[in-house]
Amino acid sequence: MMLFNEIYSLYYKAVAKAIDSAIKGQLDDKTLRQIIRENAFCESELTIVPAIKEEKWQIICADGTTPIQNTPSIPLTNLEKSWLKAISLDKRIALFGVDFGLGDDVQPLFNQENIKYFDQYTDEDEYDNPEYQKHFKTILKAINDNHHPLQIYMRNPKGQSVRMNVIPRHLEYSHKDDKFRLITSGCAYGAVINLGRIQSCEYYYGRQLNRMADLAPENKCFCMELVDKRNALERVMMHFAHFEKQAEKLGDDRYKITVWYNKEDEGEIIIRILSFGPMVKVTEPCDLVERIKQRLKKQMRYL
Amino acid sequence: MAYTELIKNFERVREYMRQFYLYGFKSREEYGIKSARSYDDDRRRIETWLGEYMGFKSGANGKNVFISIDSRAVKSNPLFKAWKTCSFTDKDITLHFIVLDILKNHPSGITTKDICDVIENDYMCCFDSPLSFDESTVRKKLKEYETQGIVTSRKDGKTVVYTICKDSTKVDADALAFFSESAPCGVIGSFIADKKTANNDNFAFKHHYITQTMDSEILAKLLCAIRDKRNVITINHSPRTENTVSIKSVPLKIFISTQNGRQYVMVYHYDFDRIMSYRLDYITDVELLDECENFDHYRNMLCRMEKHMWGVNATRHEEQLYHVEFTVSFAENEGFIYRRMMREKRCGNVELVGKGLCRFSADVYNEQELVPWIRTFAGRIVKISFTDKELEASFKEDIHSMYQMYCEEGGDNDAV
Repeated sequence: MMLFNEIYSLYYKAVAKAIDSAIKGQLDDKTLRQIIRENAFCESELTIVPAIKEEKWQIICADGTTPIQNTPSIPLTNLEKSWLKAISLDKRIALFGVDFGLGDDVQPLFNQENIKYFDQYTDEDEYDNPEYQKHFKTILKAINDNHHPLQIYMRNPKGQSVRMNVIPRHLEYSHKDDKFRLITSGCAYGAVINLGRIQSCEYYYGRQLNRMADLAPENKCFCMELVDKRNALERVMMHFAHFEKQAEKLGDDRYKITVWYNKEDEGEIIIRILSFGPMVKVTEPCDLVERIKQRLKKQMRYL
Repeated sequence: MAYTELIKNFERVREYMRQFYLYGFKSREEYGIKSARSYDDDRRRIETWLGEYMGFKSGANGKNVFISIDSRAVKSNPLFKAWKTCSFTDKDITLHFIVLDILKNHPSGITTKDICDVIENDYMCCFDSPLSFDESTVRKKLKEYETQGIVTSRKDGKTVVYTICKDSTKVDADALAFFSESAPCGVIGSFIADKKTANNDNFAFKHHYITQTMDSEILAKLLCAIRDKRNVITINHSPRTENTVSIKSVPLKIFISTQNGRQYVMVYHYDFDRIMSYRLDYITDVELLDECENFDHYRNMLCRMEKHMWGVNATRHEEQLYHVEFTVSFAENEGFIYRRMMREKRCGNVELVGKGLCRFSADVYNEQELVPWIRTFAGRIVKISFTDKELEASFKEDIHSMYQMYCEEGGDNDAV
C-alpha cells in the first residue's frame, strides 16, 4: 500500500486532461498551458510542455495529436475502495443518502472501533435522527441548487421557536464539537444556525432576500509571549495550528506568537489560552487581557 | 542533479512542511541540514505546491519561511498537494497511458506480448524517436497495477491475460468533500475526487488540524495492521532528543485529539510488557509483520484501561489510580457551565452538589493530563484536590504565577 505513488500525482491528472483535449482535436499550445496551470503546480509548465514537445513522454505528439483513443481514466485502486468502504461505515454517511456500490469483498481500511477521538465533546448532533437527516439533506440540496433560499424554524438559546428566511452559503463542521452549523446570508438576525436546533427546514419562495447581506464575523488577532519551558512552544503551536498565525523568536527561548481569530469565538479563545497556565502571556489586545485578569482575580479569591 | 518540482522521497518534505506550518520562525541554518542546496530545493518545491499560503519574513536570524493557513477559510486541505508530487520516469508515464488505453480496447483481455506489439505498431509509430518497451518492463508495470487493483489477470492456457478492472463505484461529490477533510487518511478521498472531477466547496471546517495529512501513509499502514491484527516494527524519531529507535509492538487503536490535532497509536510494547502510546508524527516508517495471536487480549486490556484514561497515558499496573476532584461555581443564568462540564467530562463524573455548584471527579492513571483542562475553569474553581499533593500545590502555584503575571505590576516576567 502506497499513498505516495505517481498514479495519484497532479502531473498525471494534468496530462490525462491534455490527452482528452488532444483526442477531441482541441489541444494547442495555449490550451495545454492552461490545462497544466489549472491542474498541476505553478512551475509545472516548465517540465510538462518540453516533455511533450520534445516527445520524451510519447503520449501526445508535438503537433497536439495523440495515438491514445480513449479518454483517460483509472479505476479506483484497492486503497481508494478500502477508504470508501470505511467511510460507508461512518454514522454520518446517513446524512448523504449514498451507496458507493462497493462489493462485500472490499475490506474497509478502518472501522470506527479502531479510532477514538478521545477529547471530542459528547453532545454531538443526532445523526441517527430521521428529522435531522431530512434537514441536512434539504440544506445540502439547496446549497447545490444555487444557494436556494430556505425557511427555517429553530429553537433559540432561550428555547423559543423563531423563523428565519436565509440564503444557505455552506455547512461548517467542527470535529471537536461533532456538530454541523449552517453559514447563511440574507437574514438580519444572524448568520450561523446550529443544525441540532432546527425544527423544520423548507425551500423559501417569498420575497427576494438580499444575497449580499453577509454577516461576516469580525476578525481579530491576539499576541502572546511564551517561554519554551515544559515543551510549551510545540504544545501552543500545535494547539493553535488551525488559525492563521505568525511566530517570531524574540531571543533564547522566548517567542512572540500572533493568532488571527473570529470575534465570535473569543470566549473559547480565552479558555484555550488559560489551559496553558503561566507558560503564555497575552500582551494584546487590551480587552482580551482585561478579561483574563478578571478571571484570575476571581480565582485568587477562591484559592 | 537538476531541480525538479516532483520528489521521490516524501519523508524529508514531510518534516519541512510540518516545521514551516507549525513554527515558521526558523532560518535555513537552524534546520540542522546537511546540504543548503537540498534545503533550498525543497523550500522552492513547497512554494510551488502551496504558492499563496507560503510567506517569508526577515528576522535577526535570517530569512524565515512559513506556511500560514486559516483552515476554517479553505474548503480543501492545501497540504494534500504534497501527496500528489511523486516523481516518475519518461517510460512510466508513457506506459501508464498507453497500457490503460490498450486494455480498454481489449475488454476480453490481452497478453503482455500482444501489448508490446500494439505499443510498437500503433503508438510508437507516431513518434520520431520511439521509446522501446520490452516484455519484462510491461509485465512489471502490469503486476504493479494488479497489486493496486487497477488491472486483473487470469490464466489462459499457459499465458497470462490482463484486463482493466471494472469500476462500478458511485461517487457522491458532497460525501467526498466532507469525508476528505473529516475522516482519517482523507487525502485518499482527495485522490478519488481528482479522478472523478468531483470537487465542491459546500463544506468548511472549524477546529481543523490539516497538518495530520502529512502522517497519512503511516496512519494507513497502522490501520491495516490493526484491522489484520498484525505485529509491526516502527521506526520512531524524537525531534527533541534526536534519537531514533526501532520498536516491535502490536498496534491496538488510534487515538486522535480534536483539540490539538495530535494522532497517537496505542500499542502493546513487547519489551516493556505494557500498553503505550506513540505519536504518529514521530514515526518515520512502519513494517507489517506476522499476525499477533494475543491481539484480542491486549485490545481488551486497553478497553478496560480506557475507563481511567483522560488522554493517552495508560499504565502497567491497572489498579494504581489517582483521584482528581474539583468544584466550580456558576450563577443562576450560567447553566452553560454545567452543560460544558457534562460534554467535556470524558471518563469523569459530574454532579450538582448545591445551588450553582457542580463537582467533577475522576480516577485516572495520570492526573497531570487533566491539569490544562481544569485551568480552563479558572475564575470558578472553589475547591480542588489531587491524590498527588505536589501536583495540587503546583496547580495552585501556577494560578498564583498567572495572577502575578497579569495583575501585579512588575510581575515575574520569567513565569511567561
